[in-house]
Amino acid sequence: MHANSRIVLFLIVCTSTFWFGCSSEKATEQVESGAGSAGEAVSDSESTEQLVKTFVLGDLIEPFDPPSLEEIDKLAEWVDQPVLDGMELMRKEQAEEGPAELSVAEALELRNNSDEDNEKLIHALGRLAAPEGSGVDYGTTFVREAQGDLKSSNPLLFSAAMDGEFSELTGVSLFGFDRHFTPFASKDAVVSWQTSKDRLMDKLVLRDDLTWSDGKPITAHDVEFSFKVILSDSVPIPAVRSGTVELKYVKAYDDRTLVIFHKEALATNVWNMLFPFIPKHIYEKSLAEDPTMTRSDYHSKLEDHPVVGGAYKMKKRVRGQEFVVERREEYYLHNGKQVRMKPYFKQIRFKVIEDPNTALLALKAGSIDDHRISPEQWESQTDDEDFYKNNTKNTTLGWDSYYFCWNFKTPFFGDKRVRHAMSYAMDYDEMLSTIFHDMYQPSRGTFHPTSWMFPKHEPPQPFQQDLDKAEDLLDEAGWEDSDGDGVRDKMVDGKRVPFRFSLLVHQRPDAIKVGTLLKECLDQIGVECLVKPTEFTVWVEKNRTKAFQASMGVWGTGADPGSQENIFGTGKGRNSGGYSNPEVDNFFRQALLEFDREKRGEIYGEITKLMWEDQPYTWLLYRNSFYGFNKRLRGYTFSPRGPYGFSPGIFGIYKAVLSP
Amino acid sequence: MTNDAQLTTEPAASRGFWGEAWQRFRRRKLGMAAMLFVVFLCLVATFAPMIVGTKPIVCKYQGKIYFPAMGYYVRSWENPIFRKDRFRNTYPKNLKKKDPESWALWPLVYQDPYRRVRDDEWPGRPGNPSGTKGHPSGLNFFGTDQVGFDVFAQLVHGTQIALSVGFISMSIAGVIGITIGALAGYLGGWVDVVLSRVIELVMCIPSLVLILALVAMLDEVSNFHLMAIVGITSWTGIARLARAEFMKLKQMEFIVAARAMGASQWRIMFRHVLRNALAPILVPITFGIAAAILIESGLSYLGFGASPPNPSWGTLLKSGRSAIQQTWWLIVFPGTAIFLTVLAYNLIGEGLQEATDPRLRQDSH
Repeated sequence: MHANSRIVLFLIVCTSTFWFGCSSEKATEQVESGAGSAGEAVSDSESTEQLVKTFVLGDLIEPFDPPSLEEIDKLAEWVDQPVLDGMELMRKEQAEEGPAELSVAEALELRNNSDEDNEKLIHALGRLAAPEGSGVDYGTTFVREAQGDLKSSNPLLFSAAMDGEFSELTGVSLFGFDRHFTPFASKDAVVSWQTSKDRLMDKLVLRDDLTWSDGKPITAHDVEFSFKVILSDSVPIPAVRSGTVELKYVKAYDDRTLVIFHKEALATNVWNMLFPFIPKHIYEKSLAEDPTMTRSDYHSKLEDHPVVGGAYKMKKRVRGQEFVVERREEYYLHNGKQVRMKPYFKQIRFKVIEDPNTALLALKAGSIDDHRISPEQWESQTDDEDFYKNNTKNTTLGWDSYYFCWNFKTPFFGDKRVRHAMSYAMDYDEMLSTIFHDMYQPSRGTFHPTSWMFPKHEPPQPFQQDLDKAEDLLDEAGWEDSDGDGVRDKMVDGKRVPFRFSLLVHQRPDAIKVGTLLKECLDQIGVECLVKPTEFTVWVEKNRTKAFQASMGVWGTGADPGSQENIFGTGKGRNSGGYSNPEVDNFFRQALLEFDREKRGEIYGEITKLMWEDQPYTWLLYRNSFYGFNKRLRGYTFSPRGPYGFSPGIFGIYKAVLSP
Repeated sequence: MTNDAQLTTEPAASRGFWGEAWQRFRRRKLGMAAMLFVVFLCLVATFAPMIVGTKPIVCKYQGKIYFPAMGYYVRSWENPIFRKDRFRNTYPKNLKKKDPESWALWPLVYQDPYRRVRDDEWPGRPGNPSGTKGHPSGLNFFGTDQVGFDVFAQLVHGTQIALSVGFISMSIAGVIGITIGALAGYLGGWVDVVLSRVIELVMCIPSLVLILALVAMLDEVSNFHLMAIVGITSWTGIARLARAEFMKLKQMEFIVAARAMGASQWRIMFRHVLRNALAPILVPITFGIAAAILIESGLSYLGFGASPPNPSWGTLLKSGRSAIQQTWWLIVFPGTAIFLTVLAYNLIGEGLQEATDPRLRQDSH
């Protein structure tokens, strides 16, 4: 029961963007997993083109004639890879941690007032249920907060946070990864996973007890078909194409045997295999008529009543209000025999509540069971009896990274001295203490200091505001107030250009506050910054098309650092600022070809240091997770992304049986 | 003798229409109180940087006199010497540090609408509290918002926005409305038919939706944009009233006389008719000012106001929404300011209506 990793990656980033307002759709992973709302924008324009494009299945795949399975087996030297269960891994990890310091009853009485309390609470309430499910109330509903509506129930078309949540619950994933971002094949779907010694092929044998919700078996042909659909030019795939496009071919040799061919032996190959799949028998005939998978009556009906293969299926959908998924008995029972873990909830209901204050009130009233709390709410609105009556709260270290991105194409930010001046101008202490109530961590680059990618030797240290240094750097770069209007200026191509730029921020209050703080800081050194709160899709589109001067965003937590290349590599898709450093490009390439995690980590460490020196971004902070949970919930565990978006994630959470 | 004296005494000069209207308006206590309140607001708006700010109203620095507070009006009016000398908007310490001979005359309250006052910025004075700790206090009369910006400072400087939005937008609406109404009412015929349909068409469009659409189209939103947008969407009521007044007045004898004397149509419209039509038209304009203030506050509340930092009353209300149970002062003070100002304009409008419309006069028995 592993999460569909790509969807999860996407989901996390989207969640963070929707929640915090100023993200791009994907962090490092978002590169792998495609685009969030950017994808929506792309798909709109693409969909217009679909009118004239003819559907040809898999026309984006480079011509390749896959050898027979016998030939492959003869040529390849297969190396076994792990086929695991995220729940088992987590249980093992918890067993190694030892027993919880507090009993559940004690934990439910405890208020989270310190780091120690927080640890005790997580250990006591985050314990997974026993394998046989004792203490789990299987007949209950988990009512979750949805910060936006479900846009598409088709996993290939997901483009918003809730699409990812839905796909995670209703989809089948061949791969998963644990809270340390270690990938494995999912025991729920895969019997064996082997990689050829040259790392150019992966062979998977699927289980034979998986069925779609219409009763048809799930086979390797569904996976091959989905791969080809994703790589069909006329199908407007918003997000999942990136990453999948790196694969050479996916071939089903029979109902259960699948071989995935790679273009190159890369450390990121496993992540490229994480694409969702759809039932071939449902879509193979309808795609030619409607490649958008949204417009025809047939596809419209499927949108509301999708055929799914995962643990849950769609029960109800009221657009703009809620969607409900229901446990599929045939998922864990096969021919009357239990073959998988029984999902813990009878139903999971997602209530659309976009306003965080309303969501908190709903949590307090017991209308929802979880809520992502803002630092402000954590500090002042969740420490009273009103909150603790029904709920408890937890926090963990997060890796999501806030930043200002500087556009190198402007007359201002191509100069490294200017970018450094910007970084020295920002008042980080004020930002962390006043805006984020000292609940986030100062940034030290694109990777988190606790991650394996962060440099171990001479690591970057957080910037401290130094306005004198900032002014000296600007003077040095030739930006001086020559006309006495209070704004620095410089002759650029024979024209006097005032140092006046706009900063795109999302319309979330905290993003606006950070932008306003930068404006205040720059005002003191004679630079004028106009803060432009921008609607999320416009923000994404402007970043995609590089139509901005400076932009504030947040990258979500990536499972693998390889996707950072798409953000900082020369000419890469998400390199909105236009940063280019051949040395960094070389290191990215080296890191892709390095399979030893420690050595890869050292390479990414070098990249971190080089980029810190170049400051293509002003990195601001790492965002921690804050969650409020209903007291009946148990089994929530955390990764650097929070309690969801990894294995077991949501599948480990349950509601305890009420005491008589 | 007596009769002769009476006959030779010159009759008292007529106060005229406006004089009489003013006389009647003055008798209305509520209306006058509202008028005084608006005058008070105008003074507050005009002298906001002298009332509350962190820049000296006047100071002597290195032998010269400067007026740094003027920078609140227009950035470049703050002498660049302070930027060159790296004052960084912190005057109290830097003036003394960089020129011990300097002196300064400070605003009545040392607070800033655009930033948080930090610790020891004014020697010995603590910085503004943030989060939900910014209760009203001796240093922050109306408390602070979540990031420590002083609410009183924002309210005072926000008065400029509230009043200018009201006046300027309704000036725009007045010009458009009167022109279109005058043309439709006076010229009549097909001009009236066409212009009346235009008015109806604009009335059919929900103004808030139209305003939101126009704001969304703008790359950079300033208060002047908001004023223009509110102005060009709020003229229909004025136009209809102007049309009716012009239709009525053009039939009067003095207009016929003016026409007989050969006055041009434009002269008749804007010199003879408009003068007499102005009184009833002023009433919807006054109500319109109140409505414009509400619209601007509403837009800022919804996050469609001018670019931040924008010390608008609506923005303050918005910031209070996120912790409404804790930060009551972010709702009460700006809410009261909006309520009182809108009420004042409505009372003025009502007073004007009664003072200028003989049918509504309380003394017209």
